[in-house]
Amino acid sequence: MGEREYLEYYALNRRGVSGWFKIRGYVLERKLYLFHRITGILIVLFMLPHFYSTGWHPGLWWDALLGIIITFHVANGIRLTLLELLGIGIGKPLLVKKPFQRPVSIEGKQRYLLALTILLFLVLAIIWSYYAVLVKPLMGG
Amino acid sequence: MMEQSSIDLWKPVKVVKLRVYKYNPKKDFFPEWKEYEIEVSRGTTILDALLRIKEEIDPSLSFRYSCGQALCGSCAMMVNGRQMLVCRTRVLEVAHNRDFIELRPLDNFSVIRDLVGDFTPFFEKHRAVKPWIIRKDVEELENPTGEYRQTIEEYARYYQFTDCLKCGACYSACPTVATDHEYLGPQALAQAYRYMVDSRDDGLDERIAIVDSDHGCWRCHFATSCSDVCPKYVDPGQGIQLLKRLIVRRKFGFRPHKPAEVLPSKIGEVKRR
Ligand code: SF4
Ligand code: SF4
Ligand code: FES
Repeated sequence: MGEREYLEYYALNRRGVSGWFKIRGYVLERKLYLFHRITGILIVLFMLPHFYSTGWHPGLWWDALLGIIITFHVANGIRLTLLELLGIGIGKPLLVKKPFQRPVSIEGKQRYLLALTILLFLVLAIIWSYYAVLVKPLMGG
Repeated sequence: MMEQSSIDLWKPVKVVKLRVYKYNPKKDFFPEWKEYEIEVSRGTTILDALLRIKEEIDPSLSFRYSCGQALCGSCAMMVNGRQMLVCRTRVLEVAHNRDFIELRPLDNFSVIRDLVGDFTPFFEKHRAVKPWIIRKDVEELENPTGEYRQTIEEYARYYQFTDCLKCGACYSACPTVATDHEYLGPQALAQAYRYMVDSRDDGLDERIAIVDSDHGCWRCHFATSCSDVCPKYVDPGQGIQLLKRLIVRRKFGFRPHKPAEVLPSKIGEVKRR
């Protein structure tokens, strides 16, 4: 970084990618946002060799990891689609606000959807890892 | 008994260290951290402490405030890494387990000096979503002959979002704003929704063209940090998801309301504005 860039970095005070990683002290949804970003980027990285040769896969433990990354992205993607396009569990705006009431969009029914997502992710990830690490090698895959 | 407790409120109970960000981009190469020790009582807000530092220790310290009672939104800053209104936050509230607190200017706002951020882009984005009532019958809006009819249900749809102070806390907390500086941001988008569902308003399609864009509402992925930090419980995260749902429904021909009709004034001539 040159002198100008240094000045801009501090004067503009922009968080950049480090802003995604600033999750301490914020709500759980923000952590999922970060994981969704990271898994999305990793999936794109995997896609590059995969397009070159569709039969390519990284092998045993890496396969399990890849499966976990993809199942997370899918499960969370379903949740986000439901929330954003259909507004499921997002709640209604309040007419009377009690003092110090936590936001409806965080504490509302949406949290059940979040729990379901994590459950779905865990189930899918366990099934996939079991298949990738134990079953597939037995079948000579 | 009563007197006793009010005296207690102002009795110094603890010495707290304030680590404050000092930076003048026009002069300094690097920002620096300055530490000030100050005695606080139970009632001392962070703003009180800053004012005392400015009066007694370091007159060069810069920060912005106006109302001192969580109404104007001037004093938002990062307190121990989280967006807060310092006039509403007591020192002991954030310093309960340790003896120092850390103050920084809001993230994602360029620094003018010390704790003061530049809100120009933020206000421009707010203005971009046309935060005013749009009517097709301009004549009636300019020279009203009565009042617009609105039921309590219609009012309830947007009331929550009218509490916004434009303090910038949500904009600063949003991880999307951190990497996309063109993104309209939670405050502007929530305000767009507020006007789109106002039954007096007729500018639905006009605003959809603005928010349904590259740097519009589809950049939001529900990190809800905006709602998390909002000091007025405006819940912009909810507003944005409802906005997206509204846009999707609009594609299928849905309209949230017909523009409100005018109730002719019964008190005779309405005063010309
Ligand atoms: S929505 Fe809340 S956090 Fe955002 S600017 Fe308005 S009052 Fe501040
Ligand atoms: S809900 Fe949307 S606007 Fe609010 S912090 Fe998250 S990404 Fe930003
Ligand atoms: S000084 Fe007005 S909101 Fe804090």
